[in-house]
Amino acid sequence: MSSKKILIVDDDQQLVLGLSPRLKSNGYSVVSAMDAVSAIAMTRKEMPDLVILDLGLPAGDGYEVLERLRSLTDHPTIPVIVLSARGPADNKLRSLNAGAAAFFQKPPDNHEFITAIRDALGETPALSTFLLT
Amino acid sequence: MRPELSEDIGLCEYSPAPSPAPAYYSNRFAAEADSMELSLQLRTDLLDGDAWGEILSTFSETVRVGVALTDAQGQLLGGCQNRQPAWSLVHDSRSDWNTGCPFCLSTHQPCTAIQDALRTGLPVVVRDQAGFSHVAVPLSLGKHHLGAILAGQVFDLYPDSLALMRVAKELGISMPKLWDLARKERPVSKAILMAAGNLLAALGKAFVRQRYSGILEAQLAETNRYFRLMVESVSDHSLFTVDLEGYVTSWNRGAERMLGYTEVEIIGNNFSCTFIPEDIRLGVPEEQMNKARLTSRARDQGWRVRANGERFWADVNKTALRDDAGRVRGFAVIMQDVTEQKKIATALNDARQAREQLQERFLSHVSHELRTPLTAIYFFTTNVADGLFGDLSPEQHEQLVLALDNLEQLKGMVSDLLDISRVDAHKLTIEPKPVSPAKLIADALNTCRTSADEKKITLTSNVTSSLPFVWADPSRIRQILTNLIDNGIKFTPEGGAITVSIRSSPDDESLLCLSVSDTGCGIGPKNLELVFERLTQIEVNPKAARSGLGLGLFIAKELVLEHGGRIWVESQLGQGSSFFFTLPVFSLAKLCAPILNAANLNSGFVTLITIDAVAPHAIEQGEQRLEIQKVLQHCIRPGHDMVLPLDGDEGSPHRYFIIACSDISDSFVITSCVERELTKISPASKLKTVISSRTLSVPEGMCEPDKIAFIVTEVEHLVQDHRMTTETLQ
Repeated sequence: MSSKKILIVDDDQQLVLGLSPRLKSNGYSVVSAMDAVSAIAMTRKEMPDLVILDLGLPAGDGYEVLERLRSLTDHPTIPVIVLSARGPADNKLRSLNAGAAAFFQKPPDNHEFITAIRDALGETPALSTFLLT
Repeated sequence: MRPELSEDIGLCEYSPAPSPAPAYYSNRFAAEADSMELSLQLRTDLLDGDAWGEILSTFSETVRVGVALTDAQGQLLGGCQNRQPAWSLVHDSRSDWNTGCPFCLSTHQPCTAIQDALRTGLPVVVRDQAGFSHVAVPLSLGKHHLGAILAGQVFDLYPDSLALMRVAKELGISMPKLWDLARKERPVSKAILMAAGNLLAALGKAFVRQRYSGILEAQLAETNRYFRLMVESVSDHSLFTVDLEGYVTSWNRGAERMLGYTEVEIIGNNFSCTFIPEDIRLGVPEEQMNKARLTSRARDQGWRVRANGERFWADVNKTALRDDAGRVRGFAVIMQDVTEQKKIATALNDARQAREQLQERFLSHVSHELRTPLTAIYFFTTNVADGLFGDLSPEQHEQLVLALDNLEQLKGMVSDLLDISRVDAHKLTIEPKPVSPAKLIADALNTCRTSADEKKITLTSNVTSSLPFVWADPSRIRQILTNLIDNGIKFTPEGGAITVSIRSSPDDESLLCLSVSDTGCGIGPKNLELVFERLTQIEVNPKAARSGLGLGLFIAKELVLEHGGRIWVESQLGQGSSFFFTLPVFSLAKLCAPILNAANLNSGFVTLITIDAVAPHAIEQGEQRLEIQKVLQHCIRPGHDMVLPLDGDEGSPHRYFIIACSDISDSFVITSCVERELTKISPASKLKTVISSRTLSVPEGMCEPDKIAFIVTEVEHLVQDHRMTTETLQ
């Protein structure tokens, strides 16, 4: 089975450099985009399985990207994890309401972050799902 | 018949004729005089010789006796009316005449007639050694002795030559003249003298009262004049009075200047014309009058309008004016134009807000900007530390772990900066919910376990079961506890211990008290208060590394206050410290009361709606709960309806209750409203639609607190019943 592809959308090249090895070591392939416009283009082109999205982006807000990703006809359900320096008080709920699978404030805990990615990709069903069914 | 000589030597007192006791005390006028101190001026005014002159001279000529007015010590006030020959003989021939009583021809014994009369309140008749008699009539006002009227200096018997000779010799006056005088005197009987005394007493009383009320009236008129002058001359305040309906009854110059109506224009008009039209439409003037009638004193600030239409911001004070029976008859209104003060206050407030916003933006920007490189460093370091680029030597690994510790500290400081900016902008928000304090403590202990282990510090908790839930924001309480425990670890030497305990607050059952105690270096008494101040770090131990921004305890204090609790520390140098803070116990009543208070309970219906929240995959429980709460909050009328969260056990569906206060008794109507809202807000709802509803009717005739208590109890029962039913079903 070919590895799942994750698109990192962040204007901070250092973050992409730091996060990519972690994702790769967990068996994902990584592509990246540095602004809102190329985020959409890359999604269309690369068809990632998951998007890690920053909120403060050049050429458009992260929320706009989130909305446009939701309206992409060929990828309507692509999971998005928001990873932003902005505080959860104002942004967590807004992100979740806009359809994000999870919200993390920078810097995230590696373990929790990878778990969230796995959950969003449906690789490790949440414990609660077992209990509920 | 001649009287016995021996009887006439010395002063003798006649027993006064029986007369009814003076009726002074029965009237209010005298009682009032009793209660006040008579000033010297008032005494002088009451016994003004000139004023008394006419009445005394008329009396003396009618009864043909000498009459004089004295003060309470017997000093003559004014002259003697209708002087008798004996008076002229003595007073004219001797300039050094200075006996106690001006009517007595005696030097042996002082005449006590005036004192006796004042003491008894009755006229007293005396006869001197020469055989002359006079009557002393007391003048009093209430309990105050003013003086006396003396009448007489006449014989009441035929003169005795021996007695006259003795007196003439004593006084150094001519015996033949005295004898000649005595022979020509026509005696006045004791009974007539007594009757004259009684008449004078009655006249005196009446005249004193008349003078007293005259003086009071004059004083009142003077006071009124001053008061009116004062009220008139106040020009920067409007002073006016209105009746119970708000019609103006008086209007000063300040009001004329401020509001632009003259006294003539405004009297008889309703003072609502000073309100702005918007307020008049809303019925504000009537509302304020009602409020003033109820409270008898009301103060407000608001827009008012001058006759020329110009608006100003007024500070208005109303005080009830009551009549003697205590009934409110109207209101005194004092109005001040505070437009300028308001402008300044608004400008200052705007400036403060702008400064706070700027500061918040700056701090939040700094915090945001610091996070970006921090994240990159975190990823780079963990990548190497976790061996993503090959194995590390133990030394390399240890160094990286230390780097990560420092990174964690940096992360904490960045979060603190953001919190501080929120404290200053009054935006430090908490999202309270019912939460188990034991679980919060366990979580915090787990977070701090590693750093405690490194210093070989024992972390224990002393938590009894059967604790009530607290009404708190779990993430914030974890933040407070972690902060306190981290502090403990920082200041406790290796091998020490930190204990986290919880107990009911000793003085308030509605609070739980959490504490974090360490065996560290302790805090000196003068620093105990300072530790919760912003940017404070106490130099306790020069060896202890200075770390952190000194914001942790300040933020902890702000968070505790935000929860409605209190934080304090008990400590002694070298004997460890104990930090305590209280949190409110979760109570349905406390949660319901403010909302039920705001709701219109008169309608009498409260509907309880129950909704199940089913956890879909992938979203962590805490986040989901938060989201569901927000969705539910959208379905209700804030301030009228409320959502009661009810934590299910871990992994089970969470059940939420909505209380809807409504004037609709049909629960179906309310239920469908909530369902409609739910679908609108969350189309792919993670909430099951309403699973049950029940309407309570609130009994009529209960007072508000009783109604609330009734509803709370009923809701508690319903929640309990519901829980049991669903548990059985599962």
